[in-house]
Amino acid sequence: MRNPRTGWLLLSPTLIILIIFGFAPFLYVLFVGFNQWNVFSAEDGLIFNGLDNFRRLVFDEDFLHSVGLTLRFAIFAIGSQIVLGFLLAQMLTRNFPGKSIFRVIHTLPLMVAPIAVGAIWRLLVIPGFGPVPFFLDRWFDFDYRIGTYPDQAMLTSVIMDVWHWTPFVTLTMLAGLSAIPREPVEQAKVDGANRLQVFWYVTLPFLRPVLLTTVFIRIMDAIRTVDEVWMLAGGGPGTRFTGIYIWRVVFPRTDYGYGSSISIITLYLTIVLCWLLFIAISGKSKDEVE
Amino acid sequence: MSKAKGKPTIEPEIERKAKSPDEHFLPFYTNAFDRVFISAVILIGIHLLWLRFMESAFPIVVATVISLVIGYVVVRRG
Repeated sequence: MRNPRTGWLLLSPTLIILIIFGFAPFLYVLFVGFNQWNVFSAEDGLIFNGLDNFRRLVFDEDFLHSVGLTLRFAIFAIGSQIVLGFLLAQMLTRNFPGKSIFRVIHTLPLMVAPIAVGAIWRLLVIPGFGPVPFFLDRWFDFDYRIGTYPDQAMLTSVIMDVWHWTPFVTLTMLAGLSAIPREPVEQAKVDGANRLQVFWYVTLPFLRPVLLTTVFIRIMDAIRTVDEVWMLAGGGPGTRFTGIYIWRVVFPRTDYGYGSSISIITLYLTIVLCWLLFIAISGKSKDEVE
Repeated sequence: MSKAKGKPTIEPEIERKAKSPDEHFLPFYTNAFDRVFISAVILIGIHLLWLRFMESAFPIVVATVISLVIGYVVVRRG
């Protein structure tokens, strides 16, 4: 007979760790978000200021701009990663010469730390030193300066993120594709479905859980991107994402209360975005439940 | 035995599901936790929008009242 007490006992180590390292810090940040706390201000310690931090936040043009940039970065980067990852996974399901070595090389960026990725790409694109601006100028007479042109900085950040994280998407898609049973695909082909129809009506529905999980993980990662973009462009124009803005508020300005409120709202935006996506991709309609 | 005497009854879970399309207005299936979550999301969203656009005309308490009413409707009938 099942004893619920044993279940709770077995769960308790995980729950205790989650509460101490996950839930308690969240509650603390939430609490600080409703206070003014700046170590260099005249009044020391936390001073409750109600909704003032959030009032300041909704009128803060820099923050709103950073949210827009982050969303743009997330949409372009994740969209590209999903498409490329799926195509590469499709390719890896087939046999071709050099498949093993290609798979190893393709997975290598995943093993590189984000800060090192940022450093590598900075060395590649730094004007007057990196090969990318040199050859773009020499071959196409193209002035490539990520510190001057915001669009170029954004595009470079997206390409860097795609280079770094597409292997992850490929691996998850490959796992999803490997798990699809052969029978429905063959049945669809026997029934006269073309490749697009097989993909749309058979492959994609089977891939939906994998796709959803991958997109969730990537959205959360993309919204909190700081280190590699910071190394690449130093928070210059076009790359002032929310994570970098929070870092600037919390560390150089030591405005902990305002930084906490921005963190909470960023978390809120992440949750809402993931939830809307979850509803759009996997939301059961009432008819399905019936 | 009791079914034979009174009017025929159906299981409460089946009854709840059978009623859901008419009673709940959200276009997708939700459980109670989903509806509480949706209410919390709406509450925060309304407060942020209120702070940005409406607070100069109406106090934030109005936003709280509106959010709570919407939250109640979503939880009960969403």
